[in-house]
Amino acid sequence: MTTKTITSPSIPVAAPGVFRGSTALGIGIAGIAVWLLGALLNPAAAASAWLISICFWTALSLGMIFFIMLHHMFDAGWSTIVRRICEHWLAVFPWLAVLFVPLLVLSILEPGVVWKWMAVDKLIPGTEIAVGDDLLYQKKSPYLNVPFFLVRLVLYFGAWVAFAHFLRKFSFAQDNDGNPAHTLANRKLSAAGLFVVGFTATFASFDWIMSLEYHWFSTIFGVWFFSSAMRAAFAALAIICLLLVRSGHLEGIFSTKHLHDLASLMFAFTVFWAYISFSQYFLIWNANIPEVTFWYNVREEGFWWPISLFLIFGHFLLPFLFLLFYTNKIRASRMIFISVWILLVQLLDMVYNILPTRKLADGSVHPFTITLWDGAAIVGIGAICVWAFARSLETARLIPIRDPRINESLRHHE
Amino acid sequence: MASLSENPSPSAAALLREVAPAKLDRPVLVENDRSFSWITNKICGIIEERTPLWWWVAFCVSGFVASFCLIGLTYLVATGTGVWGLNNPANWGWAIVNFVFWIGIGHAGTLISAILCLLRQKWRTSINRAAEAMTIFAVVCAGIFPLFHVGRVWFAWWLFPIPNSNAIWPNFKSALLWDVFAVSTYGTVSALFWYVGLIPDLATVRDRAKTKLRQVCYGIFALGWRGSNRHWRNYEMAYLLLAGLSTPLVLSVHTIVSFDFAVSLIPGWHTTIFPPYFVAGAIFSGFGMVLTLMLPLRAIYRLEDLITQYHIDCMCKICLATGSMVGYAYAMEFFIAWYGANPFESFAFVNRAFGPFAWAYWIMIACNVICPQFFWFKACRRNLVLVFILSILINVGMWFERFVIAVTSLSRDFMPTSWGYYSPTVVDIFTYVGTFGVFAVLFLLFLRFLPLMAMAEIKAVTPRADPHHHGH
Repeated sequence: MTTKTITSPSIPVAAPGVFRGSTALGIGIAGIAVWLLGALLNPAAAASAWLISICFWTALSLGMIFFIMLHHMFDAGWSTIVRRICEHWLAVFPWLAVLFVPLLVLSILEPGVVWKWMAVDKLIPGTEIAVGDDLLYQKKSPYLNVPFFLVRLVLYFGAWVAFAHFLRKFSFAQDNDGNPAHTLANRKLSAAGLFVVGFTATFASFDWIMSLEYHWFSTIFGVWFFSSAMRAAFAALAIICLLLVRSGHLEGIFSTKHLHDLASLMFAFTVFWAYISFSQYFLIWNANIPEVTFWYNVREEGFWWPISLFLIFGHFLLPFLFLLFYTNKIRASRMIFISVWILLVQLLDMVYNILPTRKLADGSVHPFTITLWDGAAIVGIGAICVWAFARSLETARLIPIRDPRINESLRHHE
Repeated sequence: MASLSENPSPSAAALLREVAPAKLDRPVLVENDRSFSWITNKICGIIEERTPLWWWVAFCVSGFVASFCLIGLTYLVATGTGVWGLNNPANWGWAIVNFVFWIGIGHAGTLISAILCLLRQKWRTSINRAAEAMTIFAVVCAGIFPLFHVGRVWFAWWLFPIPNSNAIWPNFKSALLWDVFAVSTYGTVSALFWYVGLIPDLATVRDRAKTKLRQVCYGIFALGWRGSNRHWRNYEMAYLLLAGLSTPLVLSVHTIVSFDFAVSLIPGWHTTIFPPYFVAGAIFSGFGMVLTLMLPLRAIYRLEDLITQYHIDCMCKICLATGSMVGYAYAMEFFIAWYGANPFESFAFVNRAFGPFAWAYWIMIACNVICPQFFWFKACRRNLVLVFILSILINVGMWFERFVIAVTSLSRDFMPTSWGYYSPTVVDIFTYVGTFGVFAVLFLLFLRFLPLMAMAEIKAVTPRADPHHHGH
């Protein structure tokens, strides 16, 4: 990053005690080391743990990039200081790309361990048919094949890393020269970016999550992924901003008004997630066509049934009711609570989407489990993201001091 | 840290001292620094002046066109629904297409009044009143089609959950019944929202009235508005609550409309993206119609200072965004129709694009996906003739979208023996064209009798309303 040169040393831009980069790096490496142990002992469990984790953190980061782009599209004022936090977070994308590699390595060492369509000569669990002889796979093989999957993967991360890089570059450069042209450049970038990131995120969700059960399909799946991404991003943003207030770095800058607006957006996307999830469930349930209902049927077996219900009440109803109240939206401790809650249940939603596709040898659905490897993968990738974020905090200021709308954001009274 | 401190910490204060914003002015929403009285005179002038000749001409033409609808419906009631071109298997034809078309148009009004209000998009103030009026009139036009499709229109009240003498209840499992609730709720809340917003302006018209009759008439509907602090407080709270309540309605109505199709097993209809896809399409068509209506009005009444180029830019960009969302949905439908590897589903989509109704499909793609892409360019957004033409094409495209969905899937269903071609009858065409007359008559009456723009709200977003105006 060329942005390092613009930092004035007299300004403490890093946030010691909150996002201590070295600690995060240590935790990240430890998490990954534990997970590697899991990959040796139980590759299948480790593979799904890593996939859940990478999907969770990528979704969260994509939510941040969407938020920045929407900010520019609306020429928003209030969110200017929050946008900079997102820009710092975008530093995670190259690392996420690197952290995707273990899934590819596992897939090479043991084909089909992550995406079973990658092993065409293996039997479909519970049947006598090899994947390659499955008519549905044959029909889909022009899309679901390893070379094309890799090409798409490179395109996705290439697009995200590029947009993240330029959004950060222009915004950080403005701190230095105060040139409004940077804002206009980011606006143009955002308009194009919404298209590119919208399509790449959709197909990433098809490739990584939907194709796990390659018989199944849903046209709304990309929108579901988008809604999850936005929720996770708002929850993470609220937590980060409040921690930076606690450490004093954003004290008196990030106000209850900003918190209230973030909370309102969390509320909006809570409803949006419920709307999209309901649409998918309801239309599949109501039409009752076996070619798609089986996806939900397996999620009604065993402990997956209470999980399904918990998602309705825990991922929709509780945040919905909680965020209806103004007082909950302006109190830091309450917002920390609901943000952590939303992130945890969001993680559970990822587990709900990913884990049941891992069939047992007899073809029955994989039970709901939480293993050490799940925890290691989540903490490992998450800590690397926090480390990348903390490193970015040291390269540019905490608020975009020369953004044309910065004063609107600082004097946000509405 | 139960609540957040207002006082910056030393490090935050150091950061704040560095703040030096670059200069990038926000566009003004009322140009030429117009005063409050100028705005009042301009808007009230429209309904206080002598009725212009063009209005009478337009009114007579619209009334004549509206009579087509009346005649078509009379003929239908007298003869039976067979006069529409419906057949088996195309049991749904223009009737559902026109219903969805008109309901969709209404969505821009609710989006502008509710969602843009919650998003604090101040540019909405110049266009919200007319867009809300458009919403209500579009709902009226939409309602005609399902109402008369029941055939014996005098039994239409059976749609409501009232047990009749035979103890027959409506089928609560039917998406068409949900439509009844969704659309009637939507119509009611939209009308309420529109009316609440009108109250302060009705009082202004009352206070300027030169005749007793006028004063009494507007006075009744102004509900004794005096513009006191308490009135404004209650008004603003009511407006905010209605905005909150209307926001889910923007989504719910067209979601239910999409369910009319998506809950079925028909290939091309049963797909999970239908709800958000229909909502995006509805907002798209609604903004197309807002542009179609506002551009001529802006020219006729010389409203360039109130509906600025910035407003037109914003509307064009919303068309671009929602049109592209519709394009995204088309892409998802097509991709998953292939990826799903269901031969019926893939047939439905190949049939759409290359079958007997391919002409309709490509009109739809050209108008809905390609047309709005012109709005990427500032030069196109500034060419108002082009914007006007594109806004009409958007609605042509959106009508064809519903036609493609309804007709292609039905006319070639699972049984090739019953395949056929669907054509509307003269009655279909006349009734549909007639609804444009109904819409125009209602809109012209609105122009004559109610303030076209929310004066009170526009004043609040003028540069003069800013306490820092003139650099204070």
